[in-house]
Amino acid sequence: MEYLGILKGIFIDEGRYQYILKGLGFSLGVTGLAAVLGMLFGIIFALLRLSKISILEKISIVYVDLIRGTPAVVQLMILANGIFIGNLRDTPILVVAALAFGINSGAYVTEIIRSGIEGLDKGQMEAARSLGMNYGIAMKEIILPQAIKRILPTLVSEFITLLKETSIVGFIGGVDLLRSANIITSQTYRGVEPLLAVGVIYLILTAIFTKLMRQVEGRLKVSD
Amino acid sequence: MIKINDLHKSFGSNEVLKGISKEIKKGEVVAIIGPSGSGKSTFLRCINLLETPNKGDIYIEGQNLTDKKTNIDGIRQKVGMVFQHFNLFPHKTVLENLTLAPMRLRGKSPSEAKEKAMELLGKVGLANKANEYPNRLSGGQKQRIAIARALAMEPHVMLFDEPTSALDPEMVREVLDVMRNLVAEGMTMLIVTHEMGFAKNVANRVFFMDQGTVLEDANPRELFENPKHDRTKEFLDKVLNH
Repeated sequence: MEYLGILKGIFIDEGRYQYILKGLGFSLGVTGLAAVLGMLFGIIFALLRLSKISILEKISIVYVDLIRGTPAVVQLMILANGIFIGNLRDTPILVVAALAFGINSGAYVTEIIRSGIEGLDKGQMEAARSLGMNYGIAMKEIILPQAIKRILPTLVSEFITLLKETSIVGFIGGVDLLRSANIITSQTYRGVEPLLAVGVIYLILTAIFTKLMRQVEGRLKVSD
Repeated sequence: MIKINDLHKSFGSNEVLKGISKEIKKGEVVAIIGPSGSGKSTFLRCINLLETPNKGDIYIEGQNLTDKKTNIDGIRQKVGMVFQHFNLFPHKTVLENLTLAPMRLRGKSPSEAKEKAMELLGKVGLANKANEYPNRLSGGQKQRIAIARALAMEPHVMLFDEPTSALDPEMVREVLDVMRNLVAEGMTMLIVTHEMGFAKNVANRVFFMDQGTVLEDANPRELFENPKHDRTKEFLDKVLNH
């Protein structure tokens, strides 16, 4: 019972739980935006990679290699301290972070989508084209729906990684879940409980995400 | 209807088609036979530009396929293709497999497309499978659906690329029966096949291909009973007397 009192002192007194709530909102906001951007970049660069046009393929390869070959925290800090300066300095940290993580995630999504499309039987594209569909319609109606279904589990784990990776956003002054724990620590001199609380929240979030996706997968399995 | 002039195709340094010139008239049923690697499938796939020829011209109803200005998607709508491995769309029901292209490309309404699809499914004897997904079907059923899917676009020519080669023996017949009905309706057809009986009895013209050329082009009786070239004799001897 005594420990419950301590916990109350850490999280409830002076409304400190609100730091965590705000941090949670920030983490989810960055993750959500970055996931959308990452999907967008992923689809675009995967299509460039598959375009069979040498220069476009190379652009995609350079993007993927550059991003995968450098730490996310370095990319984040370069974007914040090297590009969003001068007139751009007042850009909200949420936007800078979402862009950085979107670009980062996009490189991984590019590879996931590419392998998903390349792994499909090429007879599918041929059948679609032989019916008279142009490349765009064939991609949209035949190839992408099958590829996305096939890569869904890998995409989910990519987005779970993304959610956890956003915890480095404190490096550019973003107050996310992890930073909110640091703030509470600095006010209460309790180091472990705030971190445990944040860890549990991450765990719950990823568990929800995984469960949702399993349900979607189950529904998509009908045609298998 | 189809006119082919000096068709050449290479994959890298491997020349697969070495100059083929042929004319195929409306209503002709051409069986293309020959040993593996003779270029039969490549020849067929050039006719709807699934393979791009290196040299030569292909005209379908007067339109030159190899001309860059030609709308190839428009021509492909008139040229149905059936593949060895069916290539049905696994994420769509049988009915959707048949209605997708007519709706997206021909601007048919869902009810129009469905009506036509059900008629075709009736014709191939699979109306009761309309709402199944392809993976629930047997190979023979899949191939009959694939034929119906191609017919849904109301093509003027049908290309068959070894349509029975991936089937269990007891399913070959149901597919050949569907093709026989198409012949009876007067469809122009090119069929790459190993079914010599079918080529002999149903086709009205047979191409024997060897090493990238059409070595012999004759009516079936003549080609099967009185082949002119030694290569043709040798091939027929191997496939018929084993």
